[in-house]
Amino acid sequence: MRSQPATYGHWEQLDGMPSLGRYTMDLDARHLTQYWRRCSLSSNFWSRYMALWIPTPPAPGHLRRDAMEHILSYLLNELFENCAKFSGGPFQRIAYAAWVHEERMVFELTNHVQPAAQAPFAALIEEMLTGDLDELYFQRLEASAESNAPGSGLGYLTLMKDYGIRFGFRFSAITNASIAVGVQAHVALKEW
Amino acid sequence: MSIVQIQGEEYMVEYDPASHTLTLRGTVRLQNSDEYAPITELLQTAHDAASAAGQLTLDFRQLQFLNSSGISMISKFVINGRKQNRVPLRVLGSQEIYWQQKSLANLQKLWPKVVIEIL
Repeated sequence: MRSQPATYGHWEQLDGMPSLGRYTMDLDARHLTQYWRRCSLSSNFWSRYMALWIPTPPAPGHLRRDAMEHILSYLLNELFENCAKFSGGPFQRIAYAAWVHEERMVFELTNHVQPAAQAPFAALIEEMLTGDLDELYFQRLEASAESNAPGSGLGYLTLMKDYGIRFGFRFSAITNASIAVGVQAHVALKEW
Repeated sequence: MSIVQIQGEEYMVEYDPASHTLTLRGTVRLQNSDEYAPITELLQTAHDAASAAGQLTLDFRQLQFLNSSGISMISKFVINGRKQNRVPLRVLGSQEIYWQQKSLANLQKLWPKVVIEIL
């Protein structure tokens, strides 16, 4: 089954486009779940590696290298953790890709889920992309304190609300039993 | 009661009953609320013991990273503290640690009585 991919938010086709640098890595979701610290290790490695693109001192109005490293470590850890938590179905491959441009870096994490997981995630995405971020963030925390349920979407909401990161999402059906979910994070190099 | 510690591979949680201070250090990126349960229980112990003292201090000045599950855990603790309204909370942060500059103020929005000091 191959249909048109569904995209949400700020999704761009970046492969094949000019960039200052392009990086990729493949992982297995089961190996992240097996040793959870692999999420943190992977995010710390890439955050340190990518932050070396930031000159010291930074250009006026731009993020310092240490701030960028910190932002990227938080962002990538959330994205790797999500891939580990939510991967399902026959494909467990996770693809990491990153691009460096003059004024931004873009990170794309792709994992695979069972088809039933698409609709609830798409509903959450639509809510986050159209709602008031502050209101949603506090609403979700209050609700999770009531029900003891995990506060879904809190990682994304923090990244959008407190760090100004823009997200794009893409769902592509691979087979009847598997959907590839791509998440793109656009990080501006200017201070937010 | 002496100092209680929870030691993880990349973090340390320390509760000092004498000063009613709970300190988190290092990188805390646990998998889910079950893994956070020992820290949640220690927070609750510290909260209950502080009712007579008048204040509980959460010291995050050496907490480099906390994932969203951890932020959620601390936020729920603040919401429950607000509901009980027995123990004022003071939160110490560091201006050297980027996430604290950006996100610690959210705790005060959950409960305006929380005092945040970013040093």
